[in-house]
Amino acid sequence: MSLLEVRELHKSFGRGADEIPAVRGVDLELAPGETLGLVGESGCGKTTLGRMIVGLSAPTSGQILFGGEDVAGRLHEPRYRSRVQMVFQHPQSSLNPRFRVSTTLSEPARLLASESAGASSSESIRETLRLVGLGEEYLSRRSGQLSGGQQQRVAIARALMSAPDLIVLDEPTSSLDQSIRSRIISLLKDIQKSNSVSYLFISHDLSTVRRIAHRVAVMYLGRIVEISETNQLFDDPKHPYTKALLSAVPTLDPKKDTERIILEGETPNPTQLPTGCSFQDRCSLVHEACRTQSPSLANLGSSRQVECFAVQ
Amino acid sequence: MSLFEATGLTVGVSGSPYPILRDVDFSVEPGEILALVGESGSGKTMAALAVMGLLPHGVTKTAGEVRIDGRNLARPDGSIDRQVGQISMIFQQPVGALNPTMRVGNQVARAIQINQELDRSAALEAAIEMIGYVGIPGPERVAKSYPHQLSGGMCQRIMIAMAVSCRPRLLIADEPTTALDVTVQAQIFELIKSLVAEIGCGVVFITHDLGAVVEMADRVAVMYGGQVMEELHADRLLDGSKHPYTRYLLESIVREVDHRVEDIGVDFTLRGCRFSHRCLLAHSRCNDFPTLEWIAHDHRLSCFAHPLDRS
Repeated sequence: MSLLEVRELHKSFGRGADEIPAVRGVDLELAPGETLGLVGESGCGKTTLGRMIVGLSAPTSGQILFGGEDVAGRLHEPRYRSRVQMVFQHPQSSLNPRFRVSTTLSEPARLLASESAGASSSESIRETLRLVGLGEEYLSRRSGQLSGGQQQRVAIARALMSAPDLIVLDEPTSSLDQSIRSRIISLLKDIQKSNSVSYLFISHDLSTVRRIAHRVAVMYLGRIVEISETNQLFDDPKHPYTKALLSAVPTLDPKKDTERIILEGETPNPTQLPTGCSFQDRCSLVHEACRTQSPSLANLGSSRQVECFAVQ
Repeated sequence: MSLFEATGLTVGVSGSPYPILRDVDFSVEPGEILALVGESGSGKTMAALAVMGLLPHGVTKTAGEVRIDGRNLARPDGSIDRQVGQISMIFQQPVGALNPTMRVGNQVARAIQINQELDRSAALEAAIEMIGYVGIPGPERVAKSYPHQLSGGMCQRIMIAMAVSCRPRLLIADEPTTALDVTVQAQIFELIKSLVAEIGCGVVFITHDLGAVVEMADRVAVMYGGQVMEELHADRLLDGSKHPYTRYLLESIVREVDHRVEDIGVDFTLRGCRFSHRCLLAHSRCNDFPTLEWIAHDHRLSCFAHPLDRS
């Protein structure tokens, strides 16, 4: 059974003519111990979707099923709170600079005391710190004394303190250098092997996502346009937007002869979306149906869904 | 003679004996794109700022020359004569680099007026033409916009319009697409390449993305700890690079290479090679400073461990 199931999730900001639909009907599932990569460009709604799943933002409509139970709007309750945690992009601003690492790591247990009393034992703190690869000597350090990579380890340790089933990681490696990024990715994989936590890994960095995710969902203007097993998506993308996105990533191999697809113009204004497919004005495969009807996700093979008339 | 040459650039913080740039050399030919690549703290941006004479307060150039067409732009007081050389720079955060209280057309017009004697309306007309030239549709309308009304990609095009309006000999692009999405990055890369082909200027392209290097650059200089470690043809980066640090960077894209990397950052107090304390090939000679030496007609290397190096 799925750990997490999201059904027809919508989120809009603002009202009337200024209403911005940030997430427009998203469905997805996440199994225990699975990593789902969520990729897309600025403004596609990936962070908003992540925030709703953690409970930092209430959906406008739709369901978030956690272990089969609809928890939309109730995720702030301690019993759910401890099961879903989040790691943010900038560790230096998501950690309290005045707290010692020991305080940072005892906060979750203190705040969620009703459900997980006793979890704050210094033994479990030390153990979690070991799990993220930091020694006991870090307990008395303040986050300002740590490097960016070490700070992100502390942020991951804090998320692990409540023994969650799911961690939403929002661009956790974007502010780190390549070599440290690699370290954090290995660390996250090791942690998953040892305690089978699930990850929703939000990123615009496709090469990092390829390394960590089992499946990848591609978002464009608030919709998932393609969701697929990772290697299948990268080796053989189907949706025209996925193709353009992947072809835009610079590759190291000068001999690789993939054709660069340069998208014309910019992402349309979300307050004035066209009727039909929202990618129609930038799509090379556009035809009549795309201008009048909205496509929906349909199965293409056993491990892939695509939202496009041209390839369905 | 190269279009542009920086030789022996050495930059330090006032009062500190440890330089943050050490004997940095690079050159650019007309129409050529040279990438400066490295991680945080490698000195790639500092090298660009030294060339532009824009070093932050308290940081000074203690040695080195900056030449365009053989002419030294470094003044005796350490500042740089930018006017003569026509060097332009574009920055990482396009929205932040523009004036938020001024319509973008006027900002481009001002850049034009610095280099050409034009009255306001003629400069604005020229600005609108430049805005169209960098691929922005409806330049008259966009010229009247403020930066916050434009996307990051559009703001970067405006910055590029300002930078190329004076027909520079050298364009320095400091991580021009780091703040942008990949599909927009692809558009900006295309734009820069086509402008270079048209204007024939040289480009110093600063990035931390090795993929972008291969995509954009003709040659690449790899920096670490304020030193140029290796310089070679960009197409040869993947299979022809020799420096242990270059190999390390390439490998770290696909796997974790060095578990000590977070605990030992760049050590600016090292007298010898600044990568030596992390290098798997380090030996006693590495306590000396390795100079950048030619190992092939198009390949320079700064490493004692290399077998071809120094007989």
